[in-house]
Amino acid sequence: MALENNTIRTGRVGRGITGKVLVGRLGWTVISFLTLLVLWAVVAAIMQSRLFPGPLEVGDKLLSEAASGELFYHVGLTLGRVAAAFIAAMAIGCAIGIALGRAKGADLFFDTWLIFFLNLPALVTIILCYVWFGLTETAAILAVAINKIPNVAVTVREGARSLSRDLNEMSEIYRFGFWKTLRHVTLPQLAPFFAAAARGGLALVWKIVLVVELLGRPNGVGEQLHIGFQLFDVSMILAYAIAFIVVVQVIELCVLQPLEARANRWRR
Amino acid sequence: MDSNALRVTVEEKTFPAVEDRPEQVVLSAVDLNVEEGSFVVITGPSGCGKSTLLNIAAGLDEDYRGQVAFSQANAKLSFMFQTPRLLPWRTVAQNIRLVLDDDCPDGDKRVAAILDRVGLSEAATAYPERLSLGMQRRAALARAFVVEPDILLMDEPFVSLDDPSADSLRTLLIELWASKPTTVLFVTHDRTEAVMLATRLIRLGGKPAAIVQDTAIELSADERLDREKVLAYRMRLFDND
Ligand SMILES: Nc1ncnc2c1ncn2[C@@H]1O[C@H](COP(=O)(O)OP(=O)(O)OP(=O)(O)O)[C@@H](O)[C@H]1O
Ligand SMILES: [Mg+2]
Repeated sequence: MALENNTIRTGRVGRGITGKVLVGRLGWTVISFLTLLVLWAVVAAIMQSRLFPGPLEVGDKLLSEAASGELFYHVGLTLGRVAAAFIAAMAIGCAIGIALGRAKGADLFFDTWLIFFLNLPALVTIILCYVWFGLTETAAILAVAINKIPNVAVTVREGARSLSRDLNEMSEIYRFGFWKTLRHVTLPQLAPFFAAAARGGLALVWKIVLVVELLGRPNGVGEQLHIGFQLFDVSMILAYAIAFIVVVQVIELCVLQPLEARANRWRR
Repeated sequence: MDSNALRVTVEEKTFPAVEDRPEQVVLSAVDLNVEEGSFVVITGPSGCGKSTLLNIAAGLDEDYRGQVAFSQANAKLSFMFQTPRLLPWRTVAQNIRLVLDDDCPDGDKRVAAILDRVGLSEAATAYPERLSLGMQRRAALARAFVVEPDILLMDEPFVSLDDPSADSLRTLLIELWASKPTTVLFVTHDRTEAVMLATRLIRLGGKPAAIVQDTAIELSADERLDREKVLAYRMRLFDND
């Protein structure tokens, strides 16, 4: 039988495809970013308004804030709050999630509570925390953590429900005991759920932290945005927003993604 | 003390009704005495309760009426399941090391030795999902043997392998078993496999299932490795089916 030309598939190796795809991706990112900048500059030039500054003015503002040290001070404080709230929420949320996923009775009982907290608007938690605990750092971080805990718990509960019975029986037969089972059997199965919770968590936490700062903290990016709002200083608002986006992206690329890659290295 | 390693008595094992399925009595009046160092193979039609019986013996299923008695206090068990059940996030060597105590003095050496024995030395640092099914089964077999169990339970451990792989695993099992006498309870569908491995063959049947046949298989170690002899013995044993 003759082999028709159009049914031949050639393997990728040696055709330089993988390399090309990578360069192509980076190239597209740069092009898309530059296009956005140009578009922004053009619109700003047409508007000619103090309330719609162009990229150059915002860049100026960013540099002057950085030079005075203000930028690093406020971004640093906000990051500290994000980290504290994030860690607290992950630890407590994971513990609750695992417990609910494993104990059916507890799950039935607490489900209503979880739904209540899931649907409680962030602003309500924040206001109540400030009212009950005063305008303190602890109240601020608590408010953020409470907003985040139910999401983490629900995600991790899903994982705990789907734990493999097969592997559990295996660890029972070979007498792994509690800690060995937790470390080598249970937690690795939950890792993807932790990662999903962490990912969604960071995005949510840093947005809520800004609101918390705006409402009751004398410093941080949220408070700077508040000042920018009162002075109608749009350059300042955008400068801080951009600084923050950059920081979050750097954390994503340099911390979260390598961690995830490490956790997934056993996959085919 | 007699020479029995294990006695499994199941007066009755019932699975409760689930949704559309009525309650089911699976096993009834099963009394199985397993002699020390014997290789007991259990066969029977699909769904008759072989895995259920093995799970009861292993202590994985405690919802039954009856009892399981061991001659030795705190007998060490190994279980080789139908699927390899290796931890995908640990390497082959780690998977095997984990079933030994953390402070086991020559643990690493034992792992290396058993991996060599099953021909997996090269794959020691590989993750299980990157291995063929046959190699994963080898790793599971190594894990079952490395603890030097008093009693080894096996539930169709070689199904869905191609003939040469299954055969080489069986040969390996015979060798391992011969070098360290262990009491084995082995479930299979495959009658040739049953004759090749068993010193005693048990057939379950009926509904609810009970022991319907209990035969000693008298073949020497060499004869077991001879396919002709095994097939001839099988013919004699099961004459027309
Ligand atoms: N968890 C369960 N709940 C309800 N019924 C079950 C359960 N596990 C097994 N059964 C039923 O019990 C019977 C025996 O099952 P078992 O798995 O022991 O059969 P088996 O002899 O191992 O079959 P096979 O050779 O196909 O593996 C089957 O009819 C099965 O449907
Ligand atoms: Mg079965």
